[in-house]
Amino acid sequence: MYAVHVENIVKTYGDRRVLDGVSLDVPEGQFYAMMGPNGSGKTTLASIIAAVRTADSGNVEVYGQKPAQAKELIGYVPQENFSSPKLTGRENLVYFANLLGYSRNQADKLVVEMLQRVGLAEESDKRVSKFSGGMRKRLEVATVLFPGIKVLILDEPTTGLDPSARRAFFGMVQEIMDKKTSVILITHIGSDAELAARVGLIDSGKMIAEGTPDELKKKHAVEDAITVETVAKNDGVLSVLKGYSINERVADSATGYKIYSKNGDKILADVVRSLDKAGHRVMRIEMAKPTLEDVFFKLTEKNLQEAGI
Amino acid sequence: MIQISAAFTKTIRELLRERSALFWTIAWPIIWVVIGSFSFTGSAPAEVVPYIKGAITVSMMVFALMIAGMANLPASIAGDRATGLLAKLISMPIKPYKDFTGRILAVVMLSILAAALVVIIGFTIGARFTGNGIEILSAIGFVLLVICAATGVGLIISTFIKHLQGAIMTGVGIAVVTSAISGLFAPYEVLPAALQVFSRIYPISAAHSAIVYLVAGPGVVGYNPLTYGQIILTISASVIVLVAGIVLYSRLSWKLE
Repeated sequence: MYAVHVENIVKTYGDRRVLDGVSLDVPEGQFYAMMGPNGSGKTTLASIIAAVRTADSGNVEVYGQKPAQAKELIGYVPQENFSSPKLTGRENLVYFANLLGYSRNQADKLVVEMLQRVGLAEESDKRVSKFSGGMRKRLEVATVLFPGIKVLILDEPTTGLDPSARRAFFGMVQEIMDKKTSVILITHIGSDAELAARVGLIDSGKMIAEGTPDELKKKHAVEDAITVETVAKNDGVLSVLKGYSINERVADSATGYKIYSKNGDKILADVVRSLDKAGHRVMRIEMAKPTLEDVFFKLTEKNLQEAGI
Repeated sequence: MIQISAAFTKTIRELLRERSALFWTIAWPIIWVVIGSFSFTGSAPAEVVPYIKGAITVSMMVFALMIAGMANLPASIAGDRATGLLAKLISMPIKPYKDFTGRILAVVMLSILAAALVVIIGFTIGARFTGNGIEILSAIGFVLLVICAATGVGLIISTFIKHLQGAIMTGVGIAVVTSAISGLFAPYEVLPAALQVFSRIYPISAAHSAIVYLVAGPGVVGYNPLTYGQIILTISASVIVLVAGIVLYSRLSWKLE
């Protein structure tokens, strides 16, 4: 029996089909990442697994039961912060422990343990309004660490966190996972998804690829990815880069552009020369191993950060 | 029981730590008790001034109860909906009635606190009340009806107004407008005939009139709110509003699309 079994889920909002026949299975103890751009349907799918919404058709099971019957097993951390800023970290966790049915005494003991597990024992009596974004997210993850919860659904938990806070967050997730706990991570960040044992790529409500990060990269992103940063980003730069990229595919990145080539090391110098000749000064150029974001781009011709907009 | 207690504890802590909620629910009515007691009693005979102050105190106590139920409760619910808490709660093994029972009890607690403080301040600046033990107990019963009705309106607002600012403004707006047109701030006699009818049907103004009648004397009210028919109407209207609020909230609020 899978921890989570999703079969041919369809969900529409008005005329818009948000999920269009998505299926996936998560075995017990697996760290599964669902990656896609904003608006791809991944949050809706997460909320259906978490019993927050219902699907129009299809089947979802958590340990063989409908999600609404398996709420004791599900720990859901929505994308939005849900801890109360007016309560302390400890008060927030006691509130959730009591909602789960733990008595005051049991809750007090458990909460001490939870706070230690997420590294907030020292800050536990501060109001959450004084917490940083990373601390608040760790506190919210602590709400799904109570005994008995076996499926953690984390929706975009690292949005808004700086790189070091993101690293610390996933370090904590790795520590809290045990062989019986399955984690479903919803993300649009490739480097977060790389940490998972298995990744599902979702776009426009459809699962477009699934596998381990290595499998996906080997199968779909065999080219070298070259990141080019110029003094300015404009159509002139784009036009030069298109000439060097497979199928003229140029992806926008935060600070420049990404192009793809089967022999990246050989064309690096040519790219710099051509840009220079066209009057575009190159600030940085580097070749990198393909990432899951490259895989997504290869499959959809869309950039993860922009596709949903 | 522990789940109701959890919702109660969280909500009362949030309300007591929210300065603006405390100001509008407790300080603002107290300010008006003080201003009203010294502004609207100048031309009155000295012997009736303490009872006019008593009536003003009751009016502002009822207004405090209205703000607690109509603005603070929707604000608490809308605030939790705006964050991810509603989604989180739906994903947890907790029944909606336990959540809203805890919230309502917290608002009742804040209402009682606000009412007590308004009455204490009123008493301190000279308000006096009439009535024997039974009349005082009856007045407390009508106070509970005000809390029921205000809470019901608050739950209805929470069901239909999803955003925090909208929920607060709607609650305050309904409280102020209905107070003005139902005779809470003005003598019943000066209301147009249609508003006099509204004043008797609207459970909060009807209960308010009954409280004033019981503890400040019949002269201030303008009609007898303690006839059997009027009492049944006041109780029924209060309970209907509360039940409507609970039904709407538990059926429509506790789910996402």
